Formats: sequence, C-alpha cells, structure tokens
Amino acid sequence: MRSDKDVQSAGKAETLSEEDRVFLQEVVERDRAEHHGRLSYMDIMFELEHHYGNFLPGAVLGEVARLVGTPVSQLNGFVTFYTMLSTEPRGQHVIRVCTSGPCHVTGAPSIVAELKRLLGVGLGETTSDGMFTLEASSCLGICGVSPALMIDDDAYGNLTPKDLPQILGAKRAGGAR
Amino acid sequence: MKLFSTQIIVPVDSNSVLQGALEVKHVLEETIARFNLGSQVSVVETGALGIYDQGVVLAVFPDDVYYGGVKPVDVEEIVTEHLLKGRVVSRLAIDRNLSSRRLVEKETGKSQQKIVLRNAGLIDPQSIDEYIARDGYGALAKALAMKPGEVIQILTDSKLQGRGGAGFPTGLKWGMVAKEQSDEKYIVCNADEGEPGTFKDRLILEGDPHSIVEAMTIAGYATGAHVGIVYVRGEYFMSIARLKKAIKDATEYGLLGKDVLGTGFQFDIEVYRGGGAYVCGEEFALLESIENKRGTPRNKPPFPPQQGLFGKPTVVNNVETFANVPPILLNGSDWFKSFGTPSSAGTKVFSLSGDIVNRGIVEAPLGVTLRELIYDFGGGVKGGKHIGFIQTGGSAGTVLTDKYLDIPLDFASMKTNNVSIGSGVILVASEDVPLLPFLAEVAHFFWHESCGKCTPCREGTLQVKIIMDSLVNRTADPASLQRFGILLNLLSATSFCGLGQAAPLAFESALRNFPEVFDQALAESSVPEVCHEEV
Repeated sequence: MRSDKDVQSAGKAETLSEEDRVFLQEVVERDRAEHHGRLSYMDIMFELEHHYGNFLPGAVLGEVARLVGTPVSQLNGFVTFYTMLSTEPRGQHVIRVCTSGPCHVTGAPSIVAELKRLLGVGLGETTSDGMFTLEASSCLGICGVSPALMIDDDAYGNLTPKDLPQILGAKRAGGAR
Repeated sequence: MKLFSTQIIVPVDSNSVLQGALEVKHVLEETIARFNLGSQVSVVETGALGIYDQGVVLAVFPDDVYYGGVKPVDVEEIVTEHLLKGRVVSRLAIDRNLSSRRLVEKETGKSQQKIVLRNAGLIDPQSIDEYIARDGYGALAKALAMKPGEVIQILTDSKLQGRGGAGFPTGLKWGMVAKEQSDEKYIVCNADEGEPGTFKDRLILEGDPHSIVEAMTIAGYATGAHVGIVYVRGEYFMSIARLKKAIKDATEYGLLGKDVLGTGFQFDIEVYRGGGAYVCGEEFALLESIENKRGTPRNKPPFPPQQGLFGKPTVVNNVETFANVPPILLNGSDWFKSFGTPSSAGTKVFSLSGDIVNRGIVEAPLGVTLRELIYDFGGGVKGGKHIGFIQTGGSAGTVLTDKYLDIPLDFASMKTNNVSIGSGVILVASEDVPLLPFLAEVAHFFWHESCGKCTPCREGTLQVKIIMDSLVNRTADPASLQRFGILLNLLSATSFCGLGQAAPLAFESALRNFPEVFDQALAESSVPEVCHEEV
C-alpha cells in the first residue's frame, strides 16, 4: 500500500474529452443512487480503472474530484493508499501472485521465480508489450488451493511452475481460462 | 414446486470453480437430460462443502454419498451407475466424514447441527426460498416480536464473543450501541477478510449470504439502527455478487426495506468494497475506508459503539460472529453454551492450509485441539511427513512446535498457553519448510501492510524485515537478536493499532519455540565488511 515510487500527481495530465466528462458524471451519479445518496469512491475507482485500462489517469482523478467535491490531493491520497488501485499505467492484465504464509509454504517462491522468468520482468513491472503487470499480493483468501494467483478477476489455484505457460498463453490469446 | 427424488449438490464457491466445478456441473446437467432423468434428479449449486483437496466434489442426496476428484469424463459413470442403477461408484466416493458438517455432533453428541456453517453446502446460496426452508429469517421474526433489550439479553446470556480475533462479547457491544442516543446508528459487517490463511468468511458469504443479511437486520432492530453496511474485500468478487443478490431478494420479500415483515421497522443494507489493504480489517481503518478516506486507524476511545461510522454509534462485527446470531435466537443461549468451553461458548470455524492432506474449512466446538484439527479432520501432514512448525491465528499469530498439539484452543488459550486462535488459521508446514524464510515473508507482509500512520509500526516493521532478511542471508550481526527482542517489545507496546501490536507475535513465539534455528543462523552469519568513510 505504501509505494516507494513517485506517484503521478493527479489533475495535471492530459485533458479529457467531452465524452469522458459525460461518462464520469454518469458513473458518479449511478454510484450515488446505489449508495442512497452517499458515495463509494472505491466502487467509482474500480469502474474507472477498468474503463481506462487498469489505471487511473491524472486528468480523470481531477475531474472526479471536481464532481464529488473533494480536493484532488485528498482523492490522490485515497487512490494511492489501496494496492488494487494504480495511478501508474499497468499492463492489459494484472497478475497478482500471492506470497503470504500458506502459499509460501506450498511453493509460492517457485511460482514467483517462474513468472519473473517467463515474463522477463520483476515484481511491480510491466512486460514490454504492455500485456502483463506482475504484482506480489498479500493473501487472496483461496488458501484451500494454494499456491494461488489472480489474473484480473480470475483466480488460479494448486499451481505448479509448469502450469504457468499455459495460463499466460490463454490470457495472452484473449481467452478466459 | 417440483419434487425431485434425488438431488446432486455441486459446490460452486471460488475454490471449487478453480478446480473445474462449473464444467462438471454443465456436463452433469447435459448427461441427466440425455438419460431422461430431468424430472427426478435436480442439480443444485451450493456454497463450499469445506473439502478442497478432493478436486471437484459432488454430494448425492438423500443417499448421502460424496464423490471427490470428479472430472467431466467421470460424470456419465456416476449417472448410469449411481442414478440409474443405484450403485455407488466406489472409485470416486470419498469419506464423507471429511466434511466438517458432522463435527459438532461427533464432538458433543448433543446436536445434529453445525452452527455457523449450518447451511453452507446444503442449500443453493442464491435461493432465498431454500434459506427460508431451513428456518431462515425465523430468528428475525422472533426478534421483531420481542423488545430490543430482550434480544440483546439473549445474546449476552449466550456469551457469544467476536470471531474476528479480539473476542469481545457481542451482547455487550450491542448493548453499548443500544443505549446511545443518536439520530442515526450503523451496523457494519467486517468482511475484509485479509488475515493470511483465513478463508472462512468467504465460505460463509458465498455459501450462506442470507445468514448475514438476517443477522445484521436483527442487530439493527436490537440497537435502533436503520442502515447496515457490509465491507467486503475487493478481491472477493463472488462474495460481493452473492451478497448483493441476497440483499435484493430479501428486499423484494419484505425482509429488508421500509417495513420489515410488516412491523414498521426500517432497515437497509449496502455493500462497500475494500481496495486491498490489510489494515482495513482494523475496525476504525475500515470505517475510515467506508468514509472514502485512506484506511488508517483512529484514536481510541471513543470506540465505535460511541463514535463510529460518520461519528455515529456503530456496531462492527465479523462475518462469523453475525452468522452465529440467528441460531442463538432460535435455540436459546443455553443451547449455544452447551458447545465449547466454560470460557468460550460455541464453535469456531477454522481454516486449514499449508502442508495438510485435507485443506479446507472445519467448524469445531471451541476447546478442540490442534491434534484433532490437523490429524482427525485435516488427515495429517502431506506425504506422511512430520510437522515442522504450525502457525495459528494468522500472520499476526503464534508459531508453534508439535508440542502444542494437545492444548485446547479457545479465547483463553493465548493467555494461558501462548497459543493464539485469532481468526482461526491453522497453517501447517512440514519438516521440509525452512522457518526463517517463512518468517521473513511474514515480516515483509507487515512492512508492506503497515499503513504508515504511526512511527513504531511504520519503522518497526521495516527493522523487523531487515533483521529477518539478515538472518536468512546469514549476514546477521551478533547483537541483532538482542536488538530484535527490544524491537518486538517496542512494537507491541507502542503501536497505534492492532496491526503493529500483533505483528511481533509470530517472531516472539518463534524465538521462544525455535531458539536453535535463530542461534544456528547467527553462528553461520558473517557480517559483511562495512565501509567506514569519513563524511
């Protein structure tokens, strides 16, 4: 949750199209209705992150801050606190590989090593083709089938290093499992 | 309603889907249709059965036969042999006692019922009718016919304690909120299950979401609140979907909304998501997160029952705690106290993980021992190996040797025997797993998850990580173990919230129980040459 990287400051990036502004307003209002007049920034940010390709561009944060009536700094503080949200561009697919206790005991270190080797990137990095971002994750709550990882919303369990090429290949080909 | 003579139950929780449950279900339905059995056999999706190491599991009722490791190619054999000819396919049948469903009766001989997991794996979690058919919402109806104070009294008498780790008496907490005067109060369900090795709340939310909806509504009535919020881990996509469906269905049935069961009592529930922050399991950090802020803890007191969400009186309970409430109201406090130990009433849901034969969820009366959990229900260590170490309670829990196997686990066991029960994690590592790299991973976890608000935790967890890494790399200096002890004391004594206070538990207990491992690492260490340049 703490990032050692410098984060891109919100609200100073490229400008938004009129279409973007309409979309953002819709997202905020839909969320307000769902939460009986309150808002859930988290819901909004998850939706926007999905829409804008796995990260939250600064200009988007700036406009949302204006729409919800909060300082951009506050919203930026919120977004950079939570590991599932990112202000830095990420790959098309985000791989979250669990390194917590139960996965560690059953072989996570070899899974992480093989992923690094196959993708040619370290933890927190994105492949040069922009396809995958590899992240270490705290416990994903699927310890019954450890070692485990998630790619986007899909979880994979009972992993061995030799399962990984096929899983990555299927994702790369654009399919589900 | 159609009557079927046979039901096949297919768990479709996340763990089972991962192992191919949906493909098996699809083939099963096709095959049943092909053999023209559609009018006699129904295929029911359900939550987890609590058995994970058997691949895809099917249960056939009323025959009470469980099949494990079922692949799509096995389905036709099950249909033609079992369903058509009534012969159990023995090569796939598994020992049903591995299903924790039977544990309560086995241990106590007093009841045929599981408490928390009473419905998980038995009903279709997406069907409100099936929940109602199993006495669902009966406890709510009963509560609404009582005075709020009477509801709280039953909970207080039951001695139910919070299942999230702290063990605070639930009745007392509800009573504190009930007596506050306020225009608004909140009921919050902590479903931010993040303690490594814990996956019980996921099973409850995916397998029996209505139990949480019902219990929160009861809490609202008892304390005078009209809004409930469930804060669910962001990664729990299926839990969120199931819960939202349960809320929608309950609202349509008049079990939520402006006029609950025609009594004029109003209660609504909303779902909020987490964003991947362990600290948000801490109750104030969780409330801050719902308030659209960074998830950092607040000063205590005031506690949430006085000033919680949006500064209003708030009940914050764990998923498992809520799941206990309806059965207690239906069956009474004496019934509940008949399970467990004098200091700790009821059952606990344990998550078994690591090098254990049957990984999964087990519900057992408090007072159960590690030996029973690991060997009787877990089937022992994989490959017939010996236990290297056991971590109980989660990453913020104790690291133990097999000398602790016979200590009864309850809320008093930390105080009396230095065994933490926490959220019910039982993580077993075989003799092949080296302890220090594991502890280094735990240290890395706390360093990463520290929210950074207070200095002892922010800097202390970093120092713990540095020392652990130096032990693993054999570069520890001789004084580091002494510093380590002081550091751990400092963390537990001065950290702002439970995260930093509990972070030392694993290391302190490991130092106590495995001193030789640390001594050996020190003996093998050589301190790297440090360059002392004049600055």
